[in-house]
Formats: sequence, C-alpha cells, structure tokens
Amino acid sequence: MPDTTPAATAPHYVIIGVGVSGSQAAAELRDHDRTARITIITASRLPFYQRYDLPRVFNGVHDWRTFMVHQPGYYSDNRITLRRDTRVGGIDAKNRLLHLTHKETVHYDKLLVASGGRPYVPEHLVDYRRLMFGWGSFEDAMAVRQALPDGGHALLLGGDMIGLDLARTLIATGHRVTLVAGEHSFWPHQVPATERPKYLAALQALGLELLEEGDLGGIVAVEQSVAGLPARRVVFGDGSDLHGDVVMPFFGLAPQVEFMAGAGPDIERGLLVQRSLRTTDEHIYAAGNVCQIWSEKDRRYKFYNGWKNVRLMGSVAAANMTGGSDEFRSNPDAEALRLDDQGRIQSPFWEYQ
Amino acid sequence: MSPATTDHGGKGAMTATDIQIAICGSAGDGTIAAGNILRNALATAGYRVISFDVYPPEIRGFGKCISRLRITTEQAYSLKEKSDCLISLDDSHTIPHVGEVRDFGAVIFEAKPVAQVPEGGHITAHVRPGQIPYGFSIREISEQATSSNRSRNVVALAIMAGLFGLDKGPFRQTIDSTFGKKNKKVAEVNLDAFETGYAVGAATFKLDSVKFGPPGKSVRQGKVTILSGNAATVRGLLDAGIDCYFGYPITPATSIMERLAVEMPKRGKRLLQTEDEISAIAATVGAGYAGARAATATSGPGLALMMEMLGLGTIAEVPAVVLVSQRGGPSTGMPTKTEQSDLNAAVYGSHGDSPRIVIAPTNVEGCYRCAGKAFEMAEAYQTPVIVLLDLYLSNRYETVVLANEAPFNPDCNKRWRRTERDEVYRRFAASDDQISARAIPGDEGGMHVVTGLEHNELGRPNDTPEIHTAMSVKRHDKLKAALRHPDFTICKRFGDDGPIDVGLLGWGSTFGECLEAMFMARAEGIRCAAMKVVMLSPFPADPVAEFMDDCKAVLVPELNFQGQFARLVQAELARPVVPLAKVSCGPMRVEDIVEEIRRLAAQVHQPLAAE
Amino acid sequence: MTIQPKPVYLDEKLDEVRQSGRLDYRSKALPTWCPGCGYFAMVESLTAVLNRMQLPHKDTVIVSGIGCASRFPFFISTYGIHTLHGRALPVATGIKMANDRLHVIVVGGDGDGFAIGGGHVPHAARRNVDITYLLFDNGVYGLTKGQTSPTSVLGFRTSTSPYENPDRPLNPLLMVLSHGASWVGQAYAGKPDHLTEMIAAAVAHRGFSYLNILSPCVTFDKTERTYSNLGLQVADLPANHDSTNVAMAMAAAMRTDHPLLGLYYKEDRPTLNENLDSLAAKAGAGTPAAGKKPVRAA
Repeated sequence: MPDTTPAATAPHYVIIGVGVSGSQAAAELRDHDRTARITIITASRLPFYQRYDLPRVFNGVHDWRTFMVHQPGYYSDNRITLRRDTRVGGIDAKNRLLHLTHKETVHYDKLLVASGGRPYVPEHLVDYRRLMFGWGSFEDAMAVRQALPDGGHALLLGGDMIGLDLARTLIATGHRVTLVAGEHSFWPHQVPATERPKYLAALQALGLELLEEGDLGGIVAVEQSVAGLPARRVVFGDGSDLHGDVVMPFFGLAPQVEFMAGAGPDIERGLLVQRSLRTTDEHIYAAGNVCQIWSEKDRRYKFYNGWKNVRLMGSVAAANMTGGSDEFRSNPDAEALRLDDQGRIQSPFWEYQ
Repeated sequence: MSPATTDHGGKGAMTATDIQIAICGSAGDGTIAAGNILRNALATAGYRVISFDVYPPEIRGFGKCISRLRITTEQAYSLKEKSDCLISLDDSHTIPHVGEVRDFGAVIFEAKPVAQVPEGGHITAHVRPGQIPYGFSIREISEQATSSNRSRNVVALAIMAGLFGLDKGPFRQTIDSTFGKKNKKVAEVNLDAFETGYAVGAATFKLDSVKFGPPGKSVRQGKVTILSGNAATVRGLLDAGIDCYFGYPITPATSIMERLAVEMPKRGKRLLQTEDEISAIAATVGAGYAGARAATATSGPGLALMMEMLGLGTIAEVPAVVLVSQRGGPSTGMPTKTEQSDLNAAVYGSHGDSPRIVIAPTNVEGCYRCAGKAFEMAEAYQTPVIVLLDLYLSNRYETVVLANEAPFNPDCNKRWRRTERDEVYRRFAASDDQISARAIPGDEGGMHVVTGLEHNELGRPNDTPEIHTAMSVKRHDKLKAALRHPDFTICKRFGDDGPIDVGLLGWGSTFGECLEAMFMARAEGIRCAAMKVVMLSPFPADPVAEFMDDCKAVLVPELNFQGQFARLVQAELARPVVPLAKVSCGPMRVEDIVEEIRRLAAQVHQPLAAE
Repeated sequence: MTIQPKPVYLDEKLDEVRQSGRLDYRSKALPTWCPGCGYFAMVESLTAVLNRMQLPHKDTVIVSGIGCASRFPFFISTYGIHTLHGRALPVATGIKMANDRLHVIVVGGDGDGFAIGGGHVPHAARRNVDITYLLFDNGVYGLTKGQTSPTSVLGFRTSTSPYENPDRPLNPLLMVLSHGASWVGQAYAGKPDHLTEMIAAAVAHRGFSYLNILSPCVTFDKTERTYSNLGLQVADLPANHDSTNVAMAMAAAMRTDHPLLGLYYKEDRPTLNENLDSLAAKAGAGTPAAGKKPVRAA
C-alpha cells in the first residue's frame, strides 16, 4: 500500500458482516477511497472464510485456516479494521451511530448492512432446535462432524441447495443421508411441480434416500432416541418415524435484521433497497442475503441468492457509497437450476466448485 | 566437578508443550494474583513454568500489571517474544499489548464492560485479524457465581483453563491453598467462580491453535517447586544458615527482606530493618566480624551508599554478603524496570583498590545456589561477596528442582586456634593462600583490632610502602582461590563443541535469552555456542579465553548502555568482543540476539550449510 | 584551676597502676593523642572499669568510627574494630545482634557521632541496643587539625570558620533523651574519679547507655572548652534530680551554660535482642536465640 494514512476528516465506512458481500464491499471501498476509514463488524470470531467449502470438514479438513480467504495480513495491508466477536445492539440512524452490545458507540458516515441470513427454521420445528444441528459456520460444521459417526445416518429436513450440497459430500464420504423433502426443497430455486419428480430422481441417483414430508402427514416432533438406536428420532403425522444420528433443518435462509428494527430503513422480511442497494436512509446500504432488492420486472422486492449475486451486491454498494451510481443486475443464470446432459443437477449455488 | 564444564545437552528439538500466557490488567484487578494462581497450578500439574510480572511504580490503583508465563514440558530459559494467549482484565491496559499475541493465538476479554467505552476503546477494535477473539461476560459470571465481581480474575483464568482443556485439579488445589489460608469461605467462593468459568470455557468452541500436551514425565518425579528469584535467594540464604539480616526497603530487593522477616524469627534468627543502607551494610559487617553469617539486600541506589563500608570489609577482611537486585539507573532511574547496569559498581565500586567477589546467577535455581555459596565464599576468603541479581531475575518465577539436603557447607572458616607456642595473634599473618587464620570475638586469646587503616600483620596501622604493597597483594591474590571454589560453576559452555562461528558470552538474567537465541541460530544452521559467566570477580580468565579461542566472533548481549560486561571481558583478556548493549526497560528480545548472530555469522562466512 | 599536662604523671603512678590491674586492659600501643588531651583520662577510666568489672577480654569489643577518640580500640587489649567515620553504632548493632555474650562499647567524638553519624544515633537509642556509647565531646575536629564540629560553640573560630562559627551547637544530651535512650549521663574529663563511676554505671546498664564526656582539645581549642573554662562551668546535677523523670532530665540537659554532671535518666526496658527473641518466640522458634552464640562462632 502506498499513500496516505486516514485523515481525521476521512469518511468512516462501517460494514456489518464479514461474508461474501461485506468482504467484497470492503475491498472495493478501499479501491474507491484510499484514505477512508473502513471497519467491518461481525459477531463471528473468524475473519472472512469460505462458508461454501464447509462440507470439506467431512473430507478431513478440520483447520478453519484452510477456509480462510485472505491471509491475516490482508486487513492491515488494506487498512481495514476487522472487529470480530462484536455485536450490534442497535442503530441511531439520525446521529449515524452504531450501538455495540459491549457499550461502545461507533460513528459511521456510510453504513453497509451485510449481516446475511441465518438458517430458517419453520415454526413447527422451532421447539426442537436444541435437538438439531445448524449449518452456517465453521463451528456448526465441526459440531456436526463430531456428532456424526463414520458411516452414520444424517436426516436432512427441507432440503435447500445448501443442504443438498452437504448431502453430496456426506454420501461421497460414506454416510447415509435421508432427505425429508418438502416445499423448501431446492431453495432458493423455484422448481415447478411438473419438473419436481425429475429433480428428485436426480437426487436419488446421487444416493440420497428420499421421503416426502407431505406423504407422511408432516413432521410432528424431533426426539432424543432410546439407547441402542441412533441419537435422534423424527416422528411424522402418520405415526411413522425415522432414526438418524443427526437431524439438520435446511429450509433456506432468513435475513438477520433484528438489530435494524426501529432504526428507520424499511423492512419487509429483509431490508428493502433500491437497485442502487440504498435503503430508505441515504446513509445506509444493504447487500447480500439480508436485503430485498426492487425488481422492476416483478414489481416487488426480491431476495437474490448465489455467491455471484451476493458478491456483485458488495461491489455495487461500495461503488454507490463512494458517490457512484451503479445498479444491481442479477445474472439470469445465477437463478437457474437445471439438469445437464447426464441428468445431474447443476446450480449456480454450486458453481464455485 | 570442574568449575568450567561443557554441556552438550541443551534443549531437546521438540517440546510437547510450549505455551506463553499473558494476563494484563490494572493493579486492582487481581492481575498478579491470577498470574500466581496460574503459575502454581501449572507447576503443580507438572509443567515447567517460567514467569515474570511487570508492575507499575505506583503503589495502588490503576497502574498496569502484566503477568507472563511460559509453560513448557522441558525447562525453558526465557520468556517468548510472542504470547499464545492474552487475558485482558482491563482493556485500556491490554490494548497496547495485543500485538504480543501470535497469529492464531487467543485473546480473552470482557464482552460486557460495566461502563460506557469510548469509540475504539474496546479490545475488539484492536485484536489482530490473525488472532482469535474470545469475549465472555466475565463480570456477570463472577457475579452469578459469587455475588461479587471480585472473582473476575479467577473466572477469566477458569475460562482459559476450560477452553484449553486443562486439568481442573491443580487449579482447585491452588485456589484452595491461596485463599484458604486467609478464610475458608473466600476459598469456597473462588472455587465456585472457577467451576462456573471453567464450564463456560469448556463449552466454547476452540478456534485458536494453542495446544497443551501432557506435562513432562521427568518433572513428575523429584522435588520440583516454583520460586521467584528472590524467593530462591531467600531459600539459599536460609539453607546456608543465615544468622543475621539487615536491610532497608528498596525495589526490587524488598521481597527478600519480607520473606526473611517471616522465616528467620521462626528459626530463632535475627532480622533488623535498619535506618538506611549504610547502617544495613555496617551491621552486616559488624555481625560478620562477630562470626555470624550475615547478609543484606539492596538495589543500585543502596549499593552506592554501601560502597565505603564494602571497602572496610575488603581491607579489614570481614565476610559480608550483599545481594543486589539491579534496576534501571542512574540515580532513582526506573525502579520497576530491569537493567544490568550495576556491574561496574559491583565489580569496581568503592574507593581505592578494593577487590571483592561478585557472582551473578543466570536463572532462579542459580539464585538459590549463589545465595548459599556467597556465605561459603565470604567466610572462606574473608571478604564481602556481592550477588548480582536484577529485577527480571528477582521477580521471575521458574520451576526449580532442589536437592533434599542443603548443598552448602555450614562452616568454611579458616579458624585460628590458640596453641601453646602462640605469643601474639597475627590476624593478618602471611600464608601460602594469603588467607589468614581468623579469630572471632569470644575466642580465647585471639584479641585483636581490625581497622580500615592500612595495617601490618597484627592489624596495627602502618602506611609504609612495603606493608601497603604486601597487603594489596594479599587482598587480591587470596580471591583467586574462589575460581576453584568447591561445587560452584564459575562459567559454563552450552551448544556446539569445538570451533564455532559465533560465541555468546552472557551473564545474569540475560543468559536465558542468550540460550534461546543460540538454539534458534543452531536450528538455522549457524555453528553457535554460549557461555554463561557466573563469577564476574575475580574474572575466570582462563576458561573464558579458552572459549573465545573457539569462536570466530564473540557477542556479548547485556542490558545496559555502556556494555559493562563486554568492557570487563575486553579489559581482562585484551581481546575484542561485539557488544549488544540494550536499555530497553525490559528483558532482551531473543530475536535481537539472533539477528546479531546472523549478521556476525554472515560476516565470518562460515555458515554450517556451506560445509 | 589549671592542670598542666606533664609526661611524668604516668611514671609516678606506674607502680600503683600496675598493681591496680588496669594495665591488663591496656594494649602495648601507645596513645597518639596530644599531651594533656582529655582522652587519656578516658582510657584510664575505662580500663579501670573493665578491671573492676572483670569483663573477659575475649568477650569485650570496642567499636569506634573515625576521629581522635576513635583511635581508642588500639589502646585496649580486648577485641576491637576501628570502622568508618560515623558508622560505629550500626557496626556495633550488628556485633551485638550476632552474639549476645559480647560486651560492646562504642567510643567516638562529637563529629563522628552527631555530624556524619547523626542519622544512626536515634535508631540505636530507640531500639535500645544493649551497648554503651561513650561520646568524647570536645567541640572540635582534632584529627583533621582543628575544624568546626556540630557541638562547637557559636562564634568559635577554626580553619573552616575563620571569622566565626555561625551555627548553633547541637545538644547531644537533649537529642538522645528525645530519641529514647534508656541511660543518659554526662561526665567531664577533668574529674576522672566521677568519670570512672559514670563509665562503670553506663557499662553496667542493660540497654543503650549514652555517656556524654566533656573534654578539652588542648591543641585546637585554646579559647572555649579549655580545662579552666570547663572547670568553672561544670556543676553536679542537683541532689533532688529524679533520674526516672525524662522531663526533668531534658530540663537539666538545657542547662548548656553550666553543663551538669551525673546520671540524667535511666529506664529499664527490653533490649533490641530481647525484643527480637520474644518476636521469635511468637513466630514459633523452638529455642530462644538469647545468649546463644552463632552456630559457626562456636
């Protein structure tokens, strides 16, 4: 890095979240403004790492550093202050202040909310959260890795693309996977009812054992199993049940926006932004799985998923926060799910490989 | 045992555990207390520990304290440059030290401070991207467990112990014995705090790369204890049978007197806090004259005051032991910062030609040996002996192995015995070894007067050139026997045998860093050895010269500006050395020594790799 | 009254002195003092006392600092240590702490005790170290050939105060009384019999005894503290003096125009070593250290 140290008058860009969009935005903010103060705030204990790669823990990759996108020196080289294990308690948009839960207040000139989404758990399963494993962080991945014996049986509920990706690795590493499919299967892709059997067949071809939640009267309970059987039991409405070592919900992502409640910017499910990624507050932007972007075509605010879209949002936000006038345009391919010549599922969600 | 021996062993290539933990906070946070608990617990668990606390000159309140502990399977020789884990009990003090933690090491801190923090004032703004932040509600956990925030230090330790999966037992034992002495209830409260904190730590997913292996086997056997340099010094004095102690409080020597004040009365021995250092050394000389094993301890300013009386000890040939724990000077200087800048004063101090014995231990075990041996030498050679410590050695803790029997001779006097033929007792009679048989007040027939005036064999004032010459010779020559003092290592070589590229000549507390640097340089393929010199006066010229014969370059690292030891070596041997003199207000950085070794090795063009 | 010093004095008294046994405590060294010096009287008195009390030579130590008076140990045939200027008291403290059986007598002058060594007097006194301090107060530095001392009178002319001494003299008696000495007395070299009695009482006292001995310097003070002046000035303490009353003792010490001779104050209280031993007993020492010689000195 040549040039300058931040002047006292340099603007302070604060980014909440150290995922793909937040990290992309930080890098590009630095490109656009050499003197600005850039701070990333995240609840995670780790710097930016490749969450899409997490299934590799089943390939024996147990050191989180393997997933790290940048070497630690990257942040100081680019004068990006990375604040981890730090939580935002609330925002005072009028005075442009972030209230951190450890009683610190941080002033921002422009704020980018890129706090992402957390695994969504449908209401009828919320009570059983304690008995299920999430899948969103390295810590989660290692916990599953520990709980699932070699050759063990994983029960996947819902079956979004994140879960299906994990399922592929689990099968490849000698585990048994049962998918309880339902309306969230293939999230974020919308699979027309007519196409659905074809895609399910493709999953079976991968080695998944398949059940339709609807056929079994829905999931009634997740229970601790009796001794001698695998650790968990899923009970269905028709009285049938299923045993497995781990139960994991994969019903897509829900935006993490609680701390924005009452702050000012409009929220539907996620933060509502224009295609410039600006919220209804001129100093606040949002990017990634936390935001819904106005779609002219559909005349509504839409979530856009897939790492390419999410990264693009980081770039667009960074450009516009530094005075640019860029617009987010989803890559049409990024939303398409398809079967290739050999009948294998292809998704932009998996394209990183 | 030969006084100059060679040790090829050194440290093994692999140590299962080598972890440094730093605890930082203000004086009121129980920082040093937490360090003490951790140190004792890990020593009890069977690890080797070396630790050093840095504390402020202020008496109480808000000054910064840091306790650093290096925990190893085999004994280490110095603290490491980087810590593996940092525990913050006060962010404002800890933030400047966050950089000490290595990449992928752990930083443990308070996630819910009680008061508003200014922007950028929380440690999360400073933890480096390579380090792993662990925020915990330390205060809340303490309050839940003990209904007070006073156990924050114990909770923080417990979280760390849980996170790293350390055995609970030694911690419980240490907490119980630390607090149980005062009050059983306090011990219980702290044990509760420990259990709660431990559970929180153990339930936390560990992301750092800090790994404790099992304690070393060899350590589990034998009588291992953990002592500070000053505590070991006290143990040495007591084991050698100290009769009288006289002292005046001065940092960093005070804890020697404080411990003796507890221990000596129990043994029916006498300790007096004198009105100043002049009276402390005066009484020490008086008691020594009366036949007692007497000692005083001080630091540089006190040593300056003692100089005239040390001269009396030399000319009147009275045994006296003076322990000097050096600190930053001159004048009041830096009372709480370590330095090795009193070598000149110790070796050359006082007026006139006033030789004395000066020995400088290099580690805590050495403090024990030197303190006890100082009594032997003072008696045997009828002279003041200075044991040169420094703040870093006085205050650092190491696990040490002590022999079951005190390894000190209880009586080294060359005692005068009255015979039929004696007409008159000659206190300063000439003899082969220049040491005259000594009568002590109470001895029948041995009445004599000793004096600070130049005197003849009878002790009567005499200022003729013959007598002054003969007595000067006597006072200098008799000390040479100290170079062959039984069971005492005056110097010792470590590392590569035979011809080497770079030799380190070290003394005092800095020698630990010299050894670590030597191991690092050898690992890089540089032929390297290190010699510690324990006896500074009289100077062990022969073995040091022999060592220097083997070296293409000789580096002398020490903590003073003038390169006082380097000058001593050059003056004694008339050979060049390369000084590495630092006044960094703290222990020498191992990396600084290694860098200098690399530079010198490159200069002599003989790296091992090229052979 | 004028006393003219005459070397023949010793010759005439030699037989008497030999028979008295006083010479048992004299060394073979001859004093180096000027003829007529008051210090000769003190050697005589002390040797007489040692003889009378039959203190064993081997168990007696004379400790001195630097000055004319500090040559004293060389003239006594017991153990002796001639230390540094001003440091006799702490050295003596160390000796006494090392071995209770030793009788420790400190001798020194006014410059040694109250100028350079002034810092030690209060502490030896308050600790009640069981030693005797004989202070030879002649109001001038004699060994260095006539400079002003801390007890020199105002206006005194010396080589370092050639116009006059501008400094008020110290009052040693008042000082040691306030420091807590447990035995305080004053004698005069011109009254050798009284001096002997006072030294005897001081040595016999258990605790810190301070005897201020007024003495002329016949060489460097020909105007102030001469035998003739002192002889006219000194007086005995009044018959009704109560030597257990420290206030009365202090009042008497203020009478500097007419120095009063005799026992000012005497108090019986534990000595330093006794205090240390009871402390050791509290700390749980098996046997008290009192009276025990150091292990290695056996």
